[in-house]
Amino acid sequence: MIAVAIAYLASVGGVANGGYFAQSLFVTGGVFAVLAVSLDLVAGVTGLYSLGHAGLFALGAYGTTLLYHAGWNIFVLLPVVIVGVGLIGAILGTLSLRVSGLYFAIMTFIFSLVVTVVLTDFPFTGGLNGIAGPPLPSFPASLSFLGSSLVWCVGLVLLLAVGVVWSIRASAMYPVLLAIRDAEPFAAANGVRTAATKVGVFALSAGLAAMAGWAFSFTGYISPSQFTWTMSVNILVMVIFGGINTRVGPLIGAAFVSAFPVVVSIDPLVQEAIFGLIFLLVIVLFPGGVMGLVGWFWRRIVSRSSTTRHHVTDAAGEPAVTAPIERPARIREVSWPSDEYALECEGIRFSYIRGNTVVDDVDLRVRRGTVHGLIGPNGSGKSTLVNLISGALRPDAGEIRVSSVRVDGLPAHRRPGLGLLRTFQTAVLADELSVRESVTIGLYHRTPRVALRSLIWPLLPSARRDHRRIRSEAGEAIRSVGLAESWNEARVADVPHGVEQLTQLAAACVGEPNILILDEPLAGLSASEVAEVTEIIDDLRAKGVTMVIVEHQTQFIFGVCDDVTVLAAGKLVTSGPAEQVRQNERVREVYLGQ
Amino acid sequence: MLQVLLSGLATGAVYGLVAMAFAVVFYVTKVINFATGQLLMVSIMTVSGLSAIGVPVWLSIVAGIALSTGFGVAIYYGAVAPVLKVDRTGFGWLVSTLGVAIVLASVAAMIFGPTSRAFPALLYHHSIRLFGTSTTWQEMLAVIVAAVVLVAFEVFRTRTLFGKVGMAISGDPEMATAVGANATAYAVIAFAIGGLLAGVAGVLVGPITFANPYLGDTYGIAGFIALMIGGIDKPAAAMGGGVLLGVLSVVANTYINSQASDWFPFVVVVAVLLIAPHGLFASGNLFARWLGRGRRSAELALPAVRS
Repeated sequence: MIAVAIAYLASVGGVANGGYFAQSLFVTGGVFAVLAVSLDLVAGVTGLYSLGHAGLFALGAYGTTLLYHAGWNIFVLLPVVIVGVGLIGAILGTLSLRVSGLYFAIMTFIFSLVVTVVLTDFPFTGGLNGIAGPPLPSFPASLSFLGSSLVWCVGLVLLLAVGVVWSIRASAMYPVLLAIRDAEPFAAANGVRTAATKVGVFALSAGLAAMAGWAFSFTGYISPSQFTWTMSVNILVMVIFGGINTRVGPLIGAAFVSAFPVVVSIDPLVQEAIFGLIFLLVIVLFPGGVMGLVGWFWRRIVSRSSTTRHHVTDAAGEPAVTAPIERPARIREVSWPSDEYALECEGIRFSYIRGNTVVDDVDLRVRRGTVHGLIGPNGSGKSTLVNLISGALRPDAGEIRVSSVRVDGLPAHRRPGLGLLRTFQTAVLADELSVRESVTIGLYHRTPRVALRSLIWPLLPSARRDHRRIRSEAGEAIRSVGLAESWNEARVADVPHGVEQLTQLAAACVGEPNILILDEPLAGLSASEVAEVTEIIDDLRAKGVTMVIVEHQTQFIFGVCDDVTVLAAGKLVTSGPAEQVRQNERVREVYLGQ
Repeated sequence: MLQVLLSGLATGAVYGLVAMAFAVVFYVTKVINFATGQLLMVSIMTVSGLSAIGVPVWLSIVAGIALSTGFGVAIYYGAVAPVLKVDRTGFGWLVSTLGVAIVLASVAAMIFGPTSRAFPALLYHHSIRLFGTSTTWQEMLAVIVAAVVLVAFEVFRTRTLFGKVGMAISGDPEMATAVGANATAYAVIAFAIGGLLAGVAGVLVGPITFANPYLGDTYGIAGFIALMIGGIDKPAAAMGGGVLLGVLSVVANTYINSQASDWFPFVVVVAVLLIAPHGLFASGNLFARWLGRGRRSAELALPAVRS
């Protein structure tokens, strides 16, 4: 890593002492690369397609130029524009992310248009003609061997941007961001503040774009035509051309886009047409970009040179579960407070559409250390009740208490901290992550300040320590749900449904639940996997974890549960010890069909 | 005042047609065709080019609209379908349709040159006096065409089986396909209608703007803003947004200053997006919620949970 940085600085020095052509190419390419890297962080990693990066870039450049003319020092301005534009990004993100990803793209697109209009129509920006940027001082005589200060400025800015983004990619935050992109409910259920994290990532990306603008302002005249919406699209093209969500893809894309007009110098109209055609073809034919192609070739070479097949295909040939396994004591022994109920719901009422009550005045009391079954016909409000307890929905009326702490007013991401965790009926995980990485997300709420530390992750001893701990704990949890070691590094996209279900169960277990809510844990599982889940539940019960299980397989429910609550059409039918509920006349009538 | 209103209505009718071209495509495929403005330009440039070499005006108009319709379908097959095949939920189409927009504009500039060319006057010199105001038949035609298109589309959408199947595909393409609807055919037709509407809008506005290869940018952005103001989920709402935007722009030009229409639309759209993110005329927006008819949904929190 250090060797790469030194080699990079040496080559920057080489360019800084090189010819004018190389210098100008490097400066343009470097600024583009910062923009591409910053956009890949939001678009590639977090899945937010920003079309506002030209606007943020413009704010950085114009902010620097205008404040310089107002008498500010250019080096003081670097942190000022980064923080200032970062804040603007945070506001823009907060306003636009409340609706959807498409709305975010549209809002940022309009933001770009507005910035161009303001720069063109207001008198203090110099209008269409633009305005002269501040001069960057040359190195003092003693350092003049370094060459062009502008090249060094861009080189260092690029190093900083790449350093921050690569650090995040290497950190424990990366799986979390991918989960926010592809599996938001899963991330939220594991204590991730998804909305705030998205805003934070966009603000960081905005700050990096502003930094590119700061460096760009030293190149001479800046004018609105350099920051139109086409520039936003160009940045997105760089990212996609090189390979979205890859380390070096955005750098390759930026190099291509900046070199293209220089190398192919023909009629500008033809050039533009060819340019448009190239990025049309890339997105249509190679959606993975250059890095996607490289990866494809690489996999072909590897598969030819080695006779053994990929371990994933090997593992898929075996049954997913390799029982019996010596289980490590994964779950911490929970302390037993004196209160009798671990989870209490009182008078819960909820409706999706006004006037159509889905959960009507339901009480649910779960005794500590017991397994509580929640059954009822389809549409009886079981899953809605689970979503209310886990915080994905808010009740219209009623109280929910976890260990006597009232939680119905708390946001969903606060509940895992209280020991309340859940799984989903159908696991939705991020396809690009490995099984182990997916499970590490379960440790997010127990690891302090991951988001903040991810900015300089590899440099922090504490982060390296945490990284090792997270990996080994996740590996242990995967073992504890009975998955063979060979699954650890398999991509979620390649694993069968049963393994996915067990993966989300492992993610919940690794988070040290006091109360675990399992929403149809057997849905779509094979017989051996069902046996495995039964064993896991017994294990968890032995360790004192309170569980609520929603399930249709009544045999299973009456087999493992201490207490059972029956819902029908949103109303409570009965609740009590399993045996008593099984004998209940109404339950037989409405549910068991006897 | 009435004069201003009428002139705004005519401008808004064209914006509304472009916005509807966006909205029809989005309604069926959930894709925003960012080359919609360029389809308007294709029809304008074709009419201008053909009539300049002596083709009868009516024939060049037919050719222009046919060509923009054809390009609409070509965009679906060339730039949208392949992207959706790889990733149905991704935003790859955003880049590919913007790529098409750039290619169309620069190729048109290569063929016709980057400067403005003449466009047949059509009905532009025929004035009409209405309620004490004076306006051209060309502007009246824009208003009439927009009204007819809007009514025809809504009747078609809600009263015919074909339209109802389209609504089903819009709501849930997988379910609609499962019961036998051909979602691909509907996507092609939606792109064709989008091209058709953009082409018609081009013919309506050509005599006023003349023919310029970069018109697509101007009208594409205006139509897109109209779409955002009205609401993206319903084609009729998009037309409403277009009319509102047209009237407000002309009012701003008249009562603020002659440059106001450059920035005024942005003020309007930002205000609208902050107050009613789904558009003024969409269902489920702020006003509808105030009236107590809104829906609560858990879509953002829980796309994956069904039971």
